[in-house]
Amino acid sequence: MLKVENLTIAYGKTEVVHHVSFDIKQGSVVTVVGANGAGKSTILNTLVGLHRAKEGTILYKGEDITKTTPDKLVRKGIRLVPEGRQIFAEHSVEENMLLGAYAEKDAKKIHDRMDEMFDRFPILKERRKQLGGTLSGGEQQMLAIARALMTGPELLILDEPSLGLAPIIVADVFKLLTEIKKTGVTIMLVEQMVDNALSISDYAYVLETGNVVFSGTRDEVKNSDDIVKAYLGNI
Amino acid sequence: MQQLIFGLANGSIYALMALAIGMVSSTTGIVNFAHASVVMMGAMVSWWMMVIYGLSYLPALIIAIVVSIVLNIVMYEACVKKLGNLQHNVGWIITLFGASIILDNTARMVFGTEPQAFPYLFEGKMVTIGDANILLHELMMITIAIVIGIVYQTVIKKTRFGRAVRAVAFRPSTAELMGIKSEYIILLCFAMAGAVAAVGGVLIAPITFASYTMTLSIGLKGFAAAVLGGFGNAKGAFIGGLSLGIIESFISIFIPAGIKDSISFVIMIVVIIFLPGGILSAKIFNKNGFASEKV
Repeated sequence: MLKVENLTIAYGKTEVVHHVSFDIKQGSVVTVVGANGAGKSTILNTLVGLHRAKEGTILYKGEDITKTTPDKLVRKGIRLVPEGRQIFAEHSVEENMLLGAYAEKDAKKIHDRMDEMFDRFPILKERRKQLGGTLSGGEQQMLAIARALMTGPELLILDEPSLGLAPIIVADVFKLLTEIKKTGVTIMLVEQMVDNALSISDYAYVLETGNVVFSGTRDEVKNSDDIVKAYLGNI
Repeated sequence: MQQLIFGLANGSIYALMALAIGMVSSTTGIVNFAHASVVMMGAMVSWWMMVIYGLSYLPALIIAIVVSIVLNIVMYEACVKKLGNLQHNVGWIITLFGASIILDNTARMVFGTEPQAFPYLFEGKMVTIGDANILLHELMMITIAIVIGIVYQTVIKKTRFGRAVRAVAFRPSTAELMGIKSEYIILLCFAMAGAVAAVGGVLIAPITFASYTMTLSIGLKGFAAAVLGGFGNAKGAFIGGLSLGIIESFISIFIPAGIKDSISFVIMIVVIIFLPGGILSAKIFNKNGFASEKV
């Protein structure tokens, strides 16, 4: 579904991602793990068009999207749930979701999706008139995911969905992701909570200072002692 | 009464300027220093249309609005967009001041240096309220300004476009993740500010006379009003603008006209020191308020 070839990304003159290649199969869950500063978020931001690649190509369903702008990628079905959730603090919950559906013109579809989301996240329905900034971290994460699902994306990219959440909430988030996967959405995940992330993943890439140093199925990653020791801690 | 209406009328122009400055600053975080010059251009263009081409008020105003919108769009493209990230690059301070000087001098060349009489709305008809004679024009200034303010506020609060504007104001990159073209929204805000500038220019011109320096002090007071009310907030712009107008008008009874203008700036300085977020940020207005974190 998504094929990244030879991707090099730089901030000014500083290259932070070097010739990275990977691909994501339709319907799978792929996790990217790696230490802070490995370039994970940079890659995600480049995938959704917020940052320009210096070199390399990104193919989405065979189409070159390397230079496509974020608003067009949303319409093509790629959505990012950004790091730190970035809920619009002074918009109500409902408005946050309507903004999520900004690319959708059909009022009935928006309405149906909203109902669907409120069924899945009753807490958001309860708080629909509340300002986004007044929600708890867990609720904000739910809202961030619901907001991204408002356009019915085919590829959902999440940047550290567990960031700053209590463990019990993290479990909820990962359970939710499994459910989303079942609806046929392809998921790409960057996570620090590696064991949680691997448990729902089909495939994983390990990133170190801008290079892919290891890739394999979930079990291959778990069985690789070096990788586990070096990047993943005790799992 | 006369003082009150006069203050409100002037204040409504300050409010319109503060509103337009706020439209731009809420989405971009920048302060359009050339705004007063666009207001002047709006007034001069409509004067030109009325006096030279003999158009009536409304067509002249519409042409002025179009010209101001185009000016503001050109200004955005030339002086702001090229600079890239506005948080890291403060070049806009220079480019926009430069744009304002260019506009002022172009106006001087095209329209001349002589202040020109500008017709009042309703041919300067007066109405008598109590013991005061009040120009209908002044009442119209207040009405039009308030209507613009209410329409803007409604659009911002209730419509899809307004939601997008507020989303861009929160953070352009997050807005883009929603499928919003942030740059396009910012451009539209510049265009709206241009339209409001032209209306303000046409309304104030009969009082200041139309000349290339007509907005020198008014322009600064527009900034003062924006600061008083807090940037990027329609309610604040009106509270700032109207209160500034009224204070100025009443205070001018007691003090010499020469130092009247300094009053608004003294007020502005006091407000900046004690309430950096504007009058509306004061605690008494925010009992149950939620202070959002702006990241």
